[in-house]
Amino acid sequence: MSGVRVRRLTKSFKTVTKVQHVLKGVDLDIAPGEVVGLIGPNGAGKTTLMSCLLAFLEPDEGEVTIDDKANDDLDVRRRTGFVPERMNFDRRATGRAFLRYMARLAEVPRASVDDRVEAMLERLGIQHAAEKRLSQYSRGMLQRIGMCQALIHQPQYVFLDEPTSGLDPNGVLLVRDLIVEQKQRGAAVLLNSHQLAEVGKVCDRVLFLSNGVITRDETLHYTDRIIVAITMMHGTFDPLKVEQATGAAPRANVVVATVEDEAGIARVVRELVATGAGIVDVRRHTADLEGIFRGEA
Amino acid sequence: MNPTVVAETVRRHVTSIPYLGYLVLLAIMAFGVSRMDNMPGRIWPPLIALLSYIVGCSVIGPEFSSGTLQLILAKPVNRTVYLVSRVLGATAVVWIALLVPMLIELLGRKGQHAQIILGTTLNYALMALLTVSLMALFGSFTRAYFNIAIYFVLSIGLSVVQGAMGMLQMAREGFFAWLGKILTDFPAIPKAIVWIDQNLFPDAPPRANGSFALMVLSNAAVALVVACLLFRRREVPYGAD
Repeated sequence: MSGVRVRRLTKSFKTVTKVQHVLKGVDLDIAPGEVVGLIGPNGAGKTTLMSCLLAFLEPDEGEVTIDDKANDDLDVRRRTGFVPERMNFDRRATGRAFLRYMARLAEVPRASVDDRVEAMLERLGIQHAAEKRLSQYSRGMLQRIGMCQALIHQPQYVFLDEPTSGLDPNGVLLVRDLIVEQKQRGAAVLLNSHQLAEVGKVCDRVLFLSNGVITRDETLHYTDRIIVAITMMHGTFDPLKVEQATGAAPRANVVVATVEDEAGIARVVRELVATGAGIVDVRRHTADLEGIFRGEA
Repeated sequence: MNPTVVAETVRRHVTSIPYLGYLVLLAIMAFGVSRMDNMPGRIWPPLIALLSYIVGCSVIGPEFSSGTLQLILAKPVNRTVYLVSRVLGATAVVWIALLVPMLIELLGRKGQHAQIILGTTLNYALMALLTVSLMALFGSFTRAYFNIAIYFVLSIGLSVVQGAMGMLQMAREGFFAWLGKILTDFPAIPKAIVWIDQNLFPDAPPRANGSFALMVLSNAAVALVVACLLFRRREVPYGAD
């Protein structure tokens, strides 16, 4: 099976006096071309989960496979990109030298290393700083160059830990575009972020990790269907007729319907109007991440 | 061995201003020594040993703490290959520096005492490999610069223990005499301490010596193998929730 597959993953940290169980049986799947958000409160185990996925940590129990191979397999590594929350490297290296080194480690063909490096510097808008030492980079620029090194070999699996941390609004938009680009070329992306708005905008699915277990797995965007929330004027609709027209029972004065395309939205609205319902608002439904966060945290 | 990692390790050091300054210092010392009639291959070797400590301690431990290691291990690089490449790269940095005083002294003495100068160079080149391998070993299970701390604590500690054992064996009464008797009855204990000290922190002979070279090479190899075994299984967590 292609994609990231995690089963019954447990991880604990032992000290002399106590054992801290951080992950308590995590199951998750990420398919190619899917962007999955990982949210949760501090101490929930997000970074530990990321570290286990990247084989930096060895799980106590359970398995992590990527394309049916162990996650520390070098062939898997060739197709993996990782952006840490804080990018650290020899600060005396220039941005360009750092990227060349990362490209060579990532086994980018020697002949195309320079082209890839220049393309990534240009794409991330830091070409002007390519000859500056990393010590002269701002936090946002380090994040950008961190993205460059992760994507320079066009990985199929991208693990992003707070990639927009320290970025200005332009940088945030750029990272959002880059994530969408990765999805479009078929890469699977796992995005660990506290920026709920960002997660909501780019992720197809969001996993809520709390106290070492995934408590919610919420689909935000479907590629083959649209979820639409229609708000009706109180006293103008018959719940039974609304259910017949949309296939879903209304909650209070809102009905959440699933349609296949945008024409389907117009059709459902027409059918509701035909039942006599007064429509006051129609919007594409996105999960209320803030609500989930408040409820689960 | 990964040539990219070796080359990057060398580049990182040899392009630094402190390293270039160190080369100038070595050159000046070697030139000064070459003007003296006696003392061929002297004065500058301790600076090479010092450089081995400085360069060697940057292997693995500090990378672990800074997060650099995690960035690299996410790439398709075998851990053993990475560690060996870092050790070879760091050793190469010392070897490059070693060439400067060697060449200057050989040229300054117009080839006189070449055997001693070349022998000293070879011995310190081998010792650099051992030092860097030991730093890698100590760095493979610690973080930051604990590797150099362990190195010196062990080095000084072994000398202190040997001195203490000698004094205990001379004690005539009381608890110390009892301990001294144990050491006298079990001579393997002081011998083992001396053996460990001589193997981990050997004194370089003044000329090239086959058995010395073999001992240093084999000890470096053992240190490197153990370092690789430890590093392969080591967890490298990054960040914090």
